[in-house]
Amino acid sequence: MPEKLPEHATGKNRFQTAPATLFMDRFMTLVIKAGGALVITSVLGIFFFIFFQIWPLFAPASVTAAKSIQLPDNHYSIIGIDEWGSLPFLMEPDGKLLTADFETGKIQEIPIDFAETPQPRFTAATLNKREQEIMLGTNDGRFFLVSPNFSSSESDGRQLITINPRAASPESIGIPTQPILSIAYGDSGTQKLVVAIQPDGEGRRISASLYKRKRSLLGAGKTSLEATFDLTSLISGTPTRILVPGTADSLIVTTSDGRVHFLVLGGDNNGFSVIQTFAPFDHLENPSIAAATFLFGDVSIIFGSESGENCIFSLYYPEGGDKRLYGLTHEFAELGATPHFIASTLRNKAFLIGGGNKLSLRYSTTDSIRWQQSLPFNPVNAVISGKYQRMAILDSSNKLHFFEIHDPHADSGWNALFGKVWYEGVSSPKWEWQSTGGSDDFEPKYSLIPLIFGTFKGTLYAMIFAVPIALLAALYTSQFLDPGSRSMIKPVMEIMASLPSVVLGFLAAIYIAPLIENEVPSLLLVAAGLPVIAASTGFVWSHLPIQFRKFIPAGREWIVFLPILFASGYVLWGLGPAFEAIAFSVTDPTSRERIGDFPAWWPAATGTTYDQRNSLVVGFMMGFAVIPIIFTITEDALSNVPKSLRIGSMACGASRWQTALRIVLPTASAGIFSALMIGLGRAVGETMIVVMATGNTPIMEWNIFSGMRTLSANIAVELPEAPHHSTLYRTLFLGAMVLFLLTFAVNTVAEVLRQRLREKFKTV
Amino acid sequence: MINNDSTEPRPDFISIRNFSFFYGKKQALFDISMDIPERQVTAFIGPSGCGKSTLLRNLNRMNDLIDDIHHEGDIVIHNKSIYDPHIEVISLRKRVGMVFQKSNPFPKSIYENVVYPLRVAGQNKKSILDETVERSLKGAALWDEAKDRLHESALSLSGGQMQRLCIARAIANRPEILLMDEPCSALDPIATVKVEELIRELKEEFTIVIVTHNMQQATRCSDRTAFFYLGKLIELDDTQKLFSNPASKQTEDYITGRFG
Repeated sequence: MPEKLPEHATGKNRFQTAPATLFMDRFMTLVIKAGGALVITSVLGIFFFIFFQIWPLFAPASVTAAKSIQLPDNHYSIIGIDEWGSLPFLMEPDGKLLTADFETGKIQEIPIDFAETPQPRFTAATLNKREQEIMLGTNDGRFFLVSPNFSSSESDGRQLITINPRAASPESIGIPTQPILSIAYGDSGTQKLVVAIQPDGEGRRISASLYKRKRSLLGAGKTSLEATFDLTSLISGTPTRILVPGTADSLIVTTSDGRVHFLVLGGDNNGFSVIQTFAPFDHLENPSIAAATFLFGDVSIIFGSESGENCIFSLYYPEGGDKRLYGLTHEFAELGATPHFIASTLRNKAFLIGGGNKLSLRYSTTDSIRWQQSLPFNPVNAVISGKYQRMAILDSSNKLHFFEIHDPHADSGWNALFGKVWYEGVSSPKWEWQSTGGSDDFEPKYSLIPLIFGTFKGTLYAMIFAVPIALLAALYTSQFLDPGSRSMIKPVMEIMASLPSVVLGFLAAIYIAPLIENEVPSLLLVAAGLPVIAASTGFVWSHLPIQFRKFIPAGREWIVFLPILFASGYVLWGLGPAFEAIAFSVTDPTSRERIGDFPAWWPAATGTTYDQRNSLVVGFMMGFAVIPIIFTITEDALSNVPKSLRIGSMACGASRWQTALRIVLPTASAGIFSALMIGLGRAVGETMIVVMATGNTPIMEWNIFSGMRTLSANIAVELPEAPHHSTLYRTLFLGAMVLFLLTFAVNTVAEVLRQRLREKFKTV
Repeated sequence: MINNDSTEPRPDFISIRNFSFFYGKKQALFDISMDIPERQVTAFIGPSGCGKSTLLRNLNRMNDLIDDIHHEGDIVIHNKSIYDPHIEVISLRKRVGMVFQKSNPFPKSIYENVVYPLRVAGQNKKSILDETVERSLKGAALWDEAKDRLHESALSLSGGQMQRLCIARAIANRPEILLMDEPCSALDPIATVKVEELIRELKEEFTIVIVTHNMQQATRCSDRTAFFYLGKLIELDDTQKLFSNPASKQTEDYITGRFG
């Protein structure tokens, strides 16, 4: 009979689990689940937040009908609008302005005092939107310049726009007795060019008057007639339309046969000469031009053909040419009707084209149709407000329709962000990033391609530098180095990994870049020479008789190697100037002597640039940031290869190198691959080093001696200049999204490959 | 036991002379002297920690891989010290193959596992490699099971097959000596029987030294047995004699199961 056991050894509750244990277990399960869900939710949340930030970049314009006002029956020659878009004005043939208030719907006829009796009769009118001036041509060869003189006041908390038109005294142009059929002018501030078409017997006469304004200290000086020109003989065919750019030094004449003449003032005779004649719709059965107008900036002309084709010609230097000529830069889908008018904005490169019952809002730079609709009326003229927020459309029954435009990112979209875009003034479509410029009519360029390219370039150069060093160092440390030295190296490398990248970037920009700038040949010698010397030293060492080698225990060969490497590195660096004189010599422009000068030799030899802050510096410094990461993870992966495999290989008579190469490396390949991918991720997302050491030039060339701009650096650099919810602001978010997707794709591919490698080289 | 081969086997093929071995300051082997005869199976038995594996691993200098070790005395194979500075340890290991307690096939195909010793010796000729694979796998009694899946991963084999693969690998380059460190300890009885049969066949060609915890195994497949205790060689004799009539009291206690 066993002795009597104590209660706790026999009682039922010895099978029970303490309630506290159960509670903790369930509670912690819950906490962990909640934590996991929270992590997934926040990642998704960030993703959706960024998505909603960038979505408007790709959204079409939203255009909504706001109001319609019936105007008195009349023939309105021009339609204009104030900069707030609430008081459109139309020109009546008898020299009165008709305004229609958007807020109140009130129609008002405002007479203009021409200080002349009888009232002059007007045969032509043109509106200069940029100057907000109306030019009226009379039936007796004169013209009046009328300024609407908008003023804004506040009453009852509402903005009140009033108009108070004033006419300047008339000037004569061309033949005094003939009516002006068409008139146009441009005003650059210092000179003004007025061009008019008048009937002249059977044909038509084109006359131009050039006025110069002398500026004095007391303000705008007197404007005086400088010269008059008869351009009739320069134009073949019947002129139909004149366009004069704001520079007032050239003009465009279209003729009834669909040709466009580009005339420029200047040259030897100090007169006009035809620089270029082209026919935008030459390929069509009916080549005549139905509508044409300057795009904002007066560098591009929008043309519409009778059959509804729509294209844009821009001024640029053709490849190899020395003169700016017009060339086809953008083509759009057909309107589906003969365009009646084309109205450009003063805000951006958008324009409105209408004809039949079709109305289409288009954006020139990106070749995109922002909005297009078939209307229940036939538009005959239109104007877009200065802020690109409202448009007023006059239909064939003299009804004025207001539409609200909500299109904050008109210049954006797939084409602008990822496609090659033909910007004004350049000779071919390009991927370009330039978010801000000096002038108001500067067009921001938002192509992400140079940034993606820069990201890849920086990553590539960093990896070229880092991967061989990190992998070989890890292999040496884990497989060859004696354990004593290894236990020193690893923590040191891990400390290196924790070095803030801003410190590395600072070092790169302030110290390394200026140092490398003048010592590239030395650097090249060291980079090429050290591996060769290391390899040959190793070769000689392994062929030394064992009597010499036995003094250095296996794993401590670095005691012999390091002094040799340091000494040869020092010697090679010192040989740099001599090498430069031999291999990279250029002729000094002042002394006419051959001197070694790599920064001058490189551009001369390769035709590419040489910048002080270049990809070499970045590759070098970013490599420094990446090396410890790759090294540490690779070293772990290599050291984690089961010892039994190494010993098994050694027992087969394999050398340390054979074991490392044939057994350890393949077995650790999954881990090494992870290391490379984590290093790659670090390089892709690295910001501070790139910001500080690259010059941030968004260029697209692989040249190692030029800079770059990466997606991450771009965000850091542009952030302070991006107004909330602006296109730039959203484009920066898009850059973040691209970066996110890039790393996501890289990581996913890496993970799949890693799993395969792990499956292939799994050990028992 | 008398060997009737045509060439005379040397009774002192491996000669261990006053050998002591130290892990750092700790002495693992004390002044061991023994001869191991050619083409016979010599078993090392003894309780855990008695130094038998240490001695075995010294025969092909695998202990060199461990830090902070030193030895006194000498081991002579074929009249030549293995510590001779003129001898490359790699070529020593080519002469002395080894099979480990835990099978350690490389994460490669069966074929590549077997030819590994040839590959690292620079042999890449297909005909030679093919012949070696067939001969070695036959020698390790694995040919019939593996011949149709030579290019599958070695890790698809069962535990016993893996160990025989490791034996095939160890004999692929035809070493003179085969060291086996408890080759059956991780195997089931059926696989153990197969490996033991294999050992009996292999001794026709190789000088085998086997470390085992299993005294039945020592009696089944060895010709001579050495009993170690606390780093000292207690007794070395013909297996039959040692197990039936041990000279030392310690040996008797061990083999009758009084300790160990």
